[in-house]
Amino acid sequence: MRTVVALLLAVLAAGPAWAQGGPPIRVGFASAMSGPSAITGEGVVWGATMIVEETNAKGGIMGRKVEAYFADNKGTPGEAVSAVRKLVDVDKVDVIIGQTHSGACLGALPIVKELQVPMVIEACSNPKIRELMGKGGNEWAFRVNIDDEIMAYTFAKYMAKSVKSATVIAQNDDFGRGGAAAYDAAFKKAGIKLASTEFFDRGQADYRPLLTRVKRSNPDAVLLIMLASDGSVFMRQFRELGLAQKLYARGSMATVEFLNQVKDNPKIGDGLVEATYWTASLDPEWEKKWLERWKTPVRVHGSLAAIAFKYAVVSAVELAIKKTGKADRQAIRDALEQVDVKDSQVGPIKFDENHQAWINMLLIEMRDGQLKILEKLPTSPALLK
Amino acid sequence: MYAMVATGLALMFGVVRLINFAHGEFFMLGAYAFWFAFEVLGLPYALAVLVAAGAMAVFGVVYQRTIIRAILDRSWRVQLVATLATSIVMTNLAIIVFGTQAKEVPTRLSSTILQVGELRIAWHRLLVLGASLVIFAALHWFVRRTKIGKAMRAMSQNREACAVVGVDVQRVALVTFSLSAALAGGAAALVTPLFNIYPDMGALLTLKAFAAVIVGGFGYVQGAIAASFIIGLTESLAAGYISYAYKDAIAFVIMIAVLLWRPQGLFGRRIGI
Repeated sequence: MRTVVALLLAVLAAGPAWAQGGPPIRVGFASAMSGPSAITGEGVVWGATMIVEETNAKGGIMGRKVEAYFADNKGTPGEAVSAVRKLVDVDKVDVIIGQTHSGACLGALPIVKELQVPMVIEACSNPKIRELMGKGGNEWAFRVNIDDEIMAYTFAKYMAKSVKSATVIAQNDDFGRGGAAAYDAAFKKAGIKLASTEFFDRGQADYRPLLTRVKRSNPDAVLLIMLASDGSVFMRQFRELGLAQKLYARGSMATVEFLNQVKDNPKIGDGLVEATYWTASLDPEWEKKWLERWKTPVRVHGSLAAIAFKYAVVSAVELAIKKTGKADRQAIRDALEQVDVKDSQVGPIKFDENHQAWINMLLIEMRDGQLKILEKLPTSPALLK
Repeated sequence: MYAMVATGLALMFGVVRLINFAHGEFFMLGAYAFWFAFEVLGLPYALAVLVAAGAMAVFGVVYQRTIIRAILDRSWRVQLVATLATSIVMTNLAIIVFGTQAKEVPTRLSSTILQVGELRIAWHRLLVLGASLVIFAALHWFVRRTKIGKAMRAMSQNREACAVVGVDVQRVALVTFSLSAALAGGAAALVTPLFNIYPDMGALLTLKAFAAVIVGGFGYVQGAIAASFIIGLTESLAAGYISYAYKDAIAFVIMIAVLLWRPQGLFGRRIGI
């Protein structure tokens, strides 16, 4: 009996602390939790869990508790629609972060508009998404990360300093194809000859036929649009065939994830330069906490989901409550347009009329099994002109 | 790799007339068994290969005892759903147990490279080739010469007649499953030092091995082996000279072409009238 009373008292004591602020804020995270891309979703669950716990430990958002919900989009457009429906119909979320994969993002865009739920994109880099969002298009979608078109011109200019021709090797989906198209245009502008563009399906075991083609056309450089899980197999076979091309990348090649997979030969990726917008060293404290909590090196997509939550969603909810006294879907959407974070670890977060934020671009080099930031460049719409 | 997985699939179909859609997951599980023996327990490579094959042989027995025994006499629809469901359960269990991060098991041979003129090849690839030939020769001997092997062949011709003359049908099925699973485990242990291990690695493999079994002639083991090599080589050549992006489609295009031209498979005998 005494335990029951004690428990009741504990519940009563804990209850009002959250009740002061109002009902909890429900945040949905959608990513690939099964299938060949499941590694990204696992990272998103971990990153989201950490950041939501951290926020609640500090008293939530203006006294309101945050509840995280998760949905599996398998990294594909069709499943992304089901994921959004699940988050909206079953979990009744106020805002969605995610989709992680470009194909899934493109699939989710029409449905978030139809169901009128705000979605903050954390990592989809297909350039088409920017054209579809914002004024005159999808007013419910916002994107924190920069896309491949934004990065391609700067990256191609950097590459042109040392190479005359390049082959693009890209994964066969919306991410890879969007990236390949962006570099096709950027190479032309920078005066780099595109030797060929090759696509591969994720989870491929044998890259030798593809690498033999590269060997035959013998370009100065190879640009990989590839994630770490495929990259480790690819790099082993690249070295096996003795190719000497300069390596550039877009995806998650120059990451601790990749280095963790090639522990037996950490120098295998030496010299590779990757264009990106996030790296572990931007937030050493987060990296340390992640390693302690999950016993595995920090992952890029989980960290990006946490950044989207911490800067875009939390700021928008605060603004919405201050302005309208409530944090429903419409209020959060309207507030996202007002978000103006000057100094997040990835740069300023302020959505333009296309709902695109212009965060920093990074060039990361792998050398002796270490990652080094070569350049940190601010971005702006002027880059596209 | 295709050949060893396809052989297992062909054996199962030949002997018990059942298509095991979880066969790619046998391969995946074999790969994890190998990873556990080689990386976690630190066993020498050859021993780890045997452990993986042995563990899978045991798994094959368990699989036959639990799932297959219950569905062996049911319609093909029940068998399809049951094996397909097993495959999905196994993949997701692997995600939960082993995590989604791909595991790498490089050996000394997989990072040492043999160079002959323009040709560069990891020693491990030669080892895989050599080992596969030895395994196929052993399998051939087993099916032709041993008593249980002969019983398997007999059963592939007429199960009822076998039962009538006193062949223990369930036991032969048990050996077949154990052997097929061990082949998948052995194949996984042989090739994974060259690739990655991840929960989803078996998905496409089942379908490709299935295509090889169809091309080779259903249930005809040598046919499946030959068809696997044909598919593997055509795939590599097509990937090198036509398009890498569509290489996975090649196996299935070959399958459809063969079905149109010779519905019984390249090496199969016409079934029925």
